Amino acid sequence: MSITYRTGLSALAVFALAAPAMAGNTLIPPGLRVAVAKSAMTVVPSIEWNKLGARPGRNSESWTQDGDDLNDLTFYGGIEAGRPLFREVDKKNQPLPKVSATMLITDIPVLLENSYRVALGAASFKVDLVEPLPFAGNKGVRFTYSFSKQNETLQRRGEARGAVIAGKLYLITYEAPGLYYYDRSAAAFRAVAESVRL
Amino acid sequence: MVKPFRTLLAALCLSLLAAAPAFAQEKTGAKPGFVLKPGTARVVLMRPSILVGAQSTGGMFEPNADWTDQAKENLAAALAAAQTGLGNSVVAYAEPVGADSARVAEYQELFDAVASSVIEYQFFAGNRLPTKKRKDQFEWGLGREVGALPGLANADYALFITTEDHFGSTGRKVLQLFAAMANVGVTAGVHKGFAGLVDLRTGDLVWLNADMQMGGDVCDPAGAGKRVRQLFEGFPGKPVEAPVSGTPAAVR
Repeated sequence: MSITYRTGLSALAVFALAAPAMAGNTLIPPGLRVAVAKSAMTVVPSIEWNKLGARPGRNSESWTQDGDDLNDLTFYGGIEAGRPLFREVDKKNQPLPKVSATMLITDIPVLLENSYRVALGAASFKVDLVEPLPFAGNKGVRFTYSFSKQNETLQRRGEARGAVIAGKLYLITYEAPGLYYYDRSAAAFRAVAESVRL
Repeated sequence: MVKPFRTLLAALCLSLLAAAPAFAQEKTGAKPGFVLKPGTARVVLMRPSILVGAQSTGGMFEPNADWTDQAKENLAAALAAAQTGLGNSVVAYAEPVGADSARVAEYQELFDAVASSVIEYQFFAGNRLPTKKRKDQFEWGLGREVGALPGLANADYALFITTEDHFGSTGRKVLQLFAAMANVGVTAGVHKGFAGLVDLRTGDLVWLNADMQMGGDVCDPAGAGKRVRQLFEGFPGKPVEAPVSGTPAAVR
């Protein structure tokens, strides 16, 4: 192997290491039905979104308008029983709660809350409203919540819709800071959530 | 959604960026068409967010109250000295009390989140969002309601400033040395500086200067002066000065 080739390979290795964070963010155009989260779940966005190259976990994906800290639309497409909602943060000391095939729809907000409490440290999290709402023609739930991250006073709001279908969890969450950003994209999130099909 | 893994990767990428100047990213952005003529606007300087601490060997941040107090004192003096040279009237914000004070603090954190998003999703070309890639595009803001904060009624712009310094511990510096021997880029220290100008009529972020590795040791009066000069580099309406070197702040 020539030195030049090897240098090229090392450079490639550096890029490969950096790749997941740089992995192409792609444009999601409005008006077209798209499959999301490597699953059978499809939605039709009303406006354009950016799909982030980095995924929160297996069978999930995130869309944003201005960055995931300012507006985050995440799809969980059929998380199987025994798996956490997203990647473990500290599996040994603080394992994330797992999806159960026998979950009731009212267990979905509890799963999200407990997962966030682990992932976001001692941050505050409050479920504000829980109501039944069909999800892709199945018995589902809609809930709203508010939380703040560790060492932050910036209040964030969230709304989610989900269901347990054939033992797997399907969930769409939308989160943004309560100041300005939440209201700015809330209607666009609802358009996506209402278009969901399986 | 949370992103612990991505944060690590982002940190890794930042380390790589710091190790390879060829990857240097943009540091300043302004809304297309935005110009601020000297002597035409009233700018209110919001209370700067200043935090100083140590970075452990593992990269964790440990805030230090003494260093932070020292930096606050030094930066306040440096800002007061710089305020008169910005081309427009810059006055310090009269902080409200009670619930309004909490709201001001939230806006400061919102500014931090926006500035961090601009760095991650616009300045860093490799990770730019497709909707932020369009030519001459700089669409960021805090929302029109920021202008309704008490005390801003007669102002045209709000100037937000954030500095956060994580000085690398001895362990971190040793790790950096060994990592360098293994050809792996590890940064010792973070020297974050954001300065942003927000139009109070529209809530738009019209100018931002943001960098994760600014120069100047904020715990030292001369270093704080250097940091402030770097924060105001390219400030709209400011008379042109010699550029400030971007060498990262000295380790403690």
